[in-house]
Parts: sequence; structure tokens; C-alpha cells
Amino acid sequence: MSDVPAPEIGDGRQADGTILRQELSEHERQQQFEDQVLPHLDRLYSAALRYTRNGADAEDLVQETVTKAFRSFHQYRPGTNLKAWLYRVLHTTYISMYRKAQRRPQEDLQETLDDYSFYDEIARSGGRSAEREVLESLTADEVKQALADLPDTFREAVYLADVEGFPYKEIAEIMDTPVGTVMSRLHRGRKQLQKALSGYARARGLIDEEVDA
Amino acid sequence: MSGANPDECGTECQEALDRLERYLDGELPGTSLEEVKEHLTACYPCTDRASFEEQLRAIVRRDCVESAPTALLTRIREHLSGLQTGN
Repeated sequence: MSDVPAPEIGDGRQADGTILRQELSEHERQQQFEDQVLPHLDRLYSAALRYTRNGADAEDLVQETVTKAFRSFHQYRPGTNLKAWLYRVLHTTYISMYRKAQRRPQEDLQETLDDYSFYDEIARSGGRSAEREVLESLTADEVKQALADLPDTFREAVYLADVEGFPYKEIAEIMDTPVGTVMSRLHRGRKQLQKALSGYARARGLIDEEVDA
Repeated sequence: MSGANPDECGTECQEALDRLERYLDGELPGTSLEEVKEHLTACYPCTDRASFEEQLRAIVRRDCVESAPTALLTRIREHLSGLQTGN
């Protein structure tokens, strides 16, 4: 907030010295909101694109998210994690706009891959490439597609953890779910992602045909 | 968790690998964290596996980030101004 000019000290101060938002003019309020929120726009769009898997939907989702955030900005407590708050708004907006309309495979119907390991598969295949070379050979499109193919809740958890680096507790708050569920979605989502990536690697001959041990 | 190969690794490896995901997520509490760290310092196969998992996350992070179209920023600014004037 250091880039916002210090407001006049007057009756607009609360006991703790913060400014009552109602005392700001509409223009100041919008300016303050834009200064704080719009720097997160790239990240919100990035997440929205992963959630919706479609550029036009992602733009609509971000605009609706920012609109909702603007309307309820008085509920955001200054000093708390703004980014996490915005992702929470993004999540609820996404659910209300898209998820209920979708028919995606439910997570409990997913194949259990708890013991799967991409690392082991590469090592076992005896292919020409070392583990790291296989990873480096995967294209950005393949990685995006592998993430896109995860069930919604897995995809969102993996995105929030691996791309945004949110801790479990914050992902739980963003997705409104217990921490244990977050851990399970992350674990299963990552396994499924690895399995999909191994499929791309195999299709391109980076690892040999699967030989069951 | 993707277990260690039981032919090569002992229970110490297995214990470390069971906690590897939470370790890489920065979610292990103190004592447990120290144990895993200590094990990784001494065990090459587990370190190799850990760095593979780390690299995979780095790749997802690198490939799944985009910039918002500039038109979107303009559209949102205009939309907010519209809301402000009571539309």
C-alpha cells in the first residue's frame, strides 16, 4: 500500500488508525482497488485458463471475479493475504459459473494410481533417455494438456500448489474443503498428471513401451 | 507415495519417501523435516528421486503460466468505471 498517498487524518480513521473505506470517494475506492488487485490479473487469468481450459471462458471468469471482488472488497481485511482472498473469489465464481454445468468425471471414479511413479517407469523402461532428459523433452502443450485432463478438483489443487505455491491450509480455505481432502487431491492429481506425461513420453519414443515388472 | 524399490532401499528410505511429497510441499513439521533432510543428505537414490519430483513441479510451474490479454485489462478497467457510476 506504500504507493497509495497517505490520506488526510480526520474523522475517517477507525480506532486502530485504518481508514474507513466508506470515507473514500468512489474514485479513490476504485483507484485503491485497481492498485492492489490488477497486479494479480495475469495470475488470475492464468488460473482461470487452467480451470476453464478455454480463453473466452477464462476472460469472462476473470472479469466476473474482479467485479465480485470489487463489490465485496470491504470484506477483505487489509494486511491479510490478498492473493489468497482473490483466489477464493475466483474459486466461488468458477463454481457458480461453470462447474455445475459441467459433466466431468468425478474424482472418486478415477483410477487409483497411488503407487504409480513416473520416475520408476522411466528407470524401468531402460529407454535411452535419463529421467531428467525425459522431463526436459516434454513440450509446454503436453504439460498443459496433462493438467487439463485432470478432474476439476484435482486440477485446481495441483495448480494452486505447484504453480502458485499455496500451502495446504490456504488451498483448503480457497477450495472450502478440509486439509486432508486437499492432500488427497494433490497426491492423486499429481500421480495422474505423471501418468499422462508418461503417455506422451512413450508416444514420442522417449521411454520404451510399458513392460510390467 | 511412490515407494522406494524394496530391493534397493531399506525402511529408512521408505519412511523418507512416504514423507517426500509433504517435504517438497514445505509442509513437514520440525522433527520430521529434519529426519527427511538428514536422510536425503546421505542417500543418493532418494535425493535423485526428490530432485526429479522437484523438477517436474518446476516444469508445471513454467509451462502453465500465462499473461492476461491486454484487451482484458482495458475491458475490466472500463467495467469497473461503469460500476462506479452506478451502472
